[in-house]
Amino acid sequence: MDKRQYKYIGKSPDRSEALEKVTGRAAYVHDMELPGMLYAKALHSPYARAKIVSIDVSAAKALPGVKAVLTGEDAPYLVGLYMIDKRIIAKDIVRYQGEVVAAVAATDERIAEEAVSLIKVEYEVLPSVQTIDEALEAKILVHEDINDLEYMKGVFFPQKDSNIASWNKTVRGDVEKAFEESYLVVENEMYLPAAAHTPLETHAAIAEADPYSDRIKIWSSAQSPFAVRQLMAKSFGIAESDIQVIIPYVGGGFGGKAGIHLEPLSALLSKACKGRPVKYKATREEEFNQLPTRAAMRGRIKTGVTKDGKITAMKVYYDWDSGAYADYGVNVGKTAIYSGAGAYEIPNVEIHSRTLYTNKVFSTAYRGFGHLETHWVIERQMDMVAQKLGIDPYDFRMINILGPGKTTVSGEVITESTGSPSDCLKAVAREINWTGYQSEEEREIQRKTGKVRGKGLALLHKAPAMPAFTSTASIIQIDGDGKVKVMIGAIDIGQGANTAMRQIAAEVLDIPLENVEVVWESDTQKNPYDWQTVASKLTFMGGNAVIKAAEDMIKQMKEVAAQVFRCDVSKLSHGDGYIYHVHHPHKKLSYGNLARGYSYENGNAIGGVIIGRGTYIADGLTNLDKETGEGLPALVWTYGAHGVDLEVDLETGDVHILKIASAFDLGQAINKKMIEGQIMGGVLQGIGSALSEGLKFNAEGKLLNPTFTDYKIPSAKDIPDEIVPILIENPQADGPFGARGVGEHPMISVPSVIGNALYDALGINFHKLPLNPENIALAIAAHHTS
Amino acid sequence: MCDHEVKTNCFEYIDSQMPPVPLELNVNGESIYELIDPAMTLLDFLRVSLKLFGTKEGCREGECGACTVIMNGRAVPSCLILAIEAQGADIITVEGLSKNGELSILQQEFIKEDGLQCGFCTPGMLMSAKALLDRNPNPTVDEVKEAIAGNLCRCTGYKSIINAILSAAKREREALSNG
Amino acid sequence: MLSKFDYYKPVSLEKATEYLNENSETKILAGGTDLLISLQKNKERCKHILDIKAIPELNRFTYTEGRGYFIGAAITVNQISEEKLLREKYPAISQGADALGSYQVRNRATMVGNICNASPGADLAAPLLVYDAKVHIASSEGIRATDLCDFFTGVKKTILKPKDLVIGISIPDVERGDRSVYLRKSRIKGADLCNVAIALRINPENKLSIALGAVSTIPMRLFELERKIAERELTPELGDWLAAEIKTYINPRRDSIRSSPEYRYLITGVLAKRGLLKLIDKEGA
Repeated sequence: MDKRQYKYIGKSPDRSEALEKVTGRAAYVHDMELPGMLYAKALHSPYARAKIVSIDVSAAKALPGVKAVLTGEDAPYLVGLYMIDKRIIAKDIVRYQGEVVAAVAATDERIAEEAVSLIKVEYEVLPSVQTIDEALEAKILVHEDINDLEYMKGVFFPQKDSNIASWNKTVRGDVEKAFEESYLVVENEMYLPAAAHTPLETHAAIAEADPYSDRIKIWSSAQSPFAVRQLMAKSFGIAESDIQVIIPYVGGGFGGKAGIHLEPLSALLSKACKGRPVKYKATREEEFNQLPTRAAMRGRIKTGVTKDGKITAMKVYYDWDSGAYADYGVNVGKTAIYSGAGAYEIPNVEIHSRTLYTNKVFSTAYRGFGHLETHWVIERQMDMVAQKLGIDPYDFRMINILGPGKTTVSGEVITESTGSPSDCLKAVAREINWTGYQSEEEREIQRKTGKVRGKGLALLHKAPAMPAFTSTASIIQIDGDGKVKVMIGAIDIGQGANTAMRQIAAEVLDIPLENVEVVWESDTQKNPYDWQTVASKLTFMGGNAVIKAAEDMIKQMKEVAAQVFRCDVSKLSHGDGYIYHVHHPHKKLSYGNLARGYSYENGNAIGGVIIGRGTYIADGLTNLDKETGEGLPALVWTYGAHGVDLEVDLETGDVHILKIASAFDLGQAINKKMIEGQIMGGVLQGIGSALSEGLKFNAEGKLLNPTFTDYKIPSAKDIPDEIVPILIENPQADGPFGARGVGEHPMISVPSVIGNALYDALGINFHKLPLNPENIALAIAAHHTS
Repeated sequence: MCDHEVKTNCFEYIDSQMPPVPLELNVNGESIYELIDPAMTLLDFLRVSLKLFGTKEGCREGECGACTVIMNGRAVPSCLILAIEAQGADIITVEGLSKNGELSILQQEFIKEDGLQCGFCTPGMLMSAKALLDRNPNPTVDEVKEAIAGNLCRCTGYKSIINAILSAAKREREALSNG
Repeated sequence: MLSKFDYYKPVSLEKATEYLNENSETKILAGGTDLLISLQKNKERCKHILDIKAIPELNRFTYTEGRGYFIGAAITVNQISEEKLLREKYPAISQGADALGSYQVRNRATMVGNICNASPGADLAAPLLVYDAKVHIASSEGIRATDLCDFFTGVKKTILKPKDLVIGISIPDVERGDRSVYLRKSRIKGADLCNVAIALRINPENKLSIALGAVSTIPMRLFELERKIAERELTPELGDWLAAEIKTYINPRRDSIRSSPEYRYLITGVLAKRGLLKLIDKEGA
């Protein structure tokens, strides 16, 4: 199909659910009430690591209106995505400040809150693991039973008697030999703090657990209903099919709602209340304190280069301060070994990625997980190496950049169909008029004005981090009026997936957009399976499944029409809502006429209800080799680049972003307006990570900024003067209409590009995030005194 | 213990056991009279008593703006106001923006400019925007930013929201001068 | 919220002070933008809420030639922002009002509440301090006035006794040519608490007044520094001296999560210099 002939692909129709959202009618779990519903509140540990000596819940239980009080004794279940390591309610020991130690269900929130205040817990405070080095020392084990924990074998590698939840490696070539032969070796240590997702809707779940059977019904603000079902079934030892998960509108996810969180606790409370529905809506403070974050990370990197700028070797240790439970953390760590060398060809590589247990709030997936973090290390390192070599960092990147025929660190050979990182880098360099670093003299002239401009570049790549067997599906049903209803198992959490799926179905079926509805309120009892709504895989995998379902529907309609027209199916085509004979176009039948079988005048009927079915499974992916990291982890790479032009106030350290240009090779835009929305939003979220965000803990592991008052995300006044989205469309041969995912990518490398531009402006290399006014101003002051 | 057999609605806000106080006010043009708990916030009154769930709870500390409503013509954080403080007040919530089944220009522009993604900040954002356009029909970009700086959005990057407000302002001015 | 309280909204000052006298564990409610947070987080508890917004004296917002402004305790920060004459005469106060919280919070928050909450970084404190504002306090014993510079006693602490009710703040009139500026530094450009706040004022006799916020346990007027400045000529060159000198008057918290003391020292100097330059360039207004 020639892309210029598309009716809906690449256009910008309005978001299909916008009407509900602008009128306040879109109901989120926050807004749900059910008959007989009870409200849950939890008591949290004030200590990072402590023994629970005793819990007295008698006063709480005696409070009128309280229907259940649960402690760890009542919840003998472990839950986990990859490491089965987390209790639903802490028992015997607490592992982070904020961990749930008791929970209450009561007739209203106020009573539940009062009941929680009446629970008395005696703790014996224990020394805790707070830093990456303490975790590696392993004098204290966060999980004393680490050797016995159940985990996903062959993919993750927990280390005996340690705090290492998984140690993943890539070893390719001989780095030590290559370093010896290098013209220059550059070493750096980089760091970034833990960060919060801060969806505007905090986590919320309602559970209705039948006390007389295993059946549990859940309404959740989750990204991945089928994962909730699977993980809960495993934890409780019941059948997946006994659990129903319904997802209404979700008020933002960003990965923080990808796993399983409040659902099991709500279910246990419901069960304890004879099946009355129990709603647990996290407070904003719980969202920071109790619910997971993005891990802090330290990267120690060593790069060897030839004199003319070819990278010969790279060795990196990525150490993730991943908190008390593994959750997605081990998978975040795993991305580093296939993605954590950046979009470059490097012959000799050693990457060690260690996901560490510490006594802090645990970490999970966060938009493009692992990538913003590793790219903070890689893309800053690229600039720092270029500086030492005296090469323009643009040229240095171009010398080493991946492209057709080149090999990734996992051994995958890139093809034309993979997309072009160099097109992205070229586009942003052009957009910001990149001409290389400014000279010290040029900086000096600007310094007199009190403000200095700086420009920077950074590259990025990402592929979905998912199991090799990941699959998804779509079902399309059609009504007598020819309108179709598309069902997918993935969730539109605001990224616009349902609108994109609607465009794809309309395009393939060739019917007006208004005749396609993607069904909202995903329900595991009705919608077809999807692995998880994560990893920017929905457009690619879901899109392919919808195409297949639509084609299946057309095929079925043609088969009936062929009988009616007494012709071979191959003589039939479709368009404008009709199946027609290619040579006698007046012989046509509307989809509506075929939807429920075709009826002749005498009453005879043929065919039947038309239901399109499409499934898509990742093909050809492999687990990565334990020792070498070799394998095929990536279904689809999406490349991108940022270029930034900014200004720094030399006295206050304020950064003002004048322009940031962001290019992504997304193969084919499905909905331009929404892709630009993803880019604008993702870039600003990246700016938040770069300039202002980060969790702060005291020495005892208490989170000091669990509120919007002190965890500052960008406001409308903090946006750049200009964000320029650039869509590059080198199609992916097996993508839907050639498309690739791009939902997460805009955030990646934003801190790096700002760090690089700060070097250009100030001549100072920053190694730690955030690049807030304080850190910049103090660095400038130190630089000038030194 | 749980009263499994109880079939009545148990989900109403059970108050603080203080004597209830009468509250009279006008919400979206409708006169309301209720006996309420004096410790109830305006946010809870709208959501729990009136079942107007459009107004969202995002932080309960006046930092996120999701609960913004218009009270006597001014955008206010309903999480930091006691319901009883709204005695005699005129309140407009997101549910009061459209008239006679027709979206307001502001709502239409939010759709057109895609000034929303997950939609959770949208009701509060719309109320801040409406309050701005009501007091200043021709705002500058900086005035728009100032008016919505207390409404956090984690999805859009704000640009599409700012564009929506500016184009709504333009359309409203045109509608006035033509009408 | 665990507090259980009744609610009383008197229409006279006497009734209010009487109520305060008779009911301990009463919290005074004006804007509520601090009180409702601490009540909902159970950081404070109370049994009674006294809403003071219907008391006529507390709704006074008047200017009298020669006497200046009286701003009642029920007057919101946005009402202050919107007052054109006040902006002309007392720009630092308007700028402080503009900087506080978010727009919707400013529609509820009151100036007096901002002062009574006694946060070291209260945005309206430094501007009021440079104008020699007075706090008017009512109790069952009558009404008294105190200088704002004597009002703060510590972090979130004031001279107020439990049965006191602040009715408003008066600000002496200024002559033509009086100029001022308020500058602050926050972590982001959007609604945020300040790390450092400074108000500077020059009166027509070229006397400079300076007050600081967020760099000590209380907002403070720097009388001693003002005396030193009075011995010097107000020139742009004084900026560097001021930037260095002012640092000796501050004592930022060592354990703040909002800012290190080093940064507060640095920024106090930067803002002092910038403020001075703005004023002597006659850009303060």
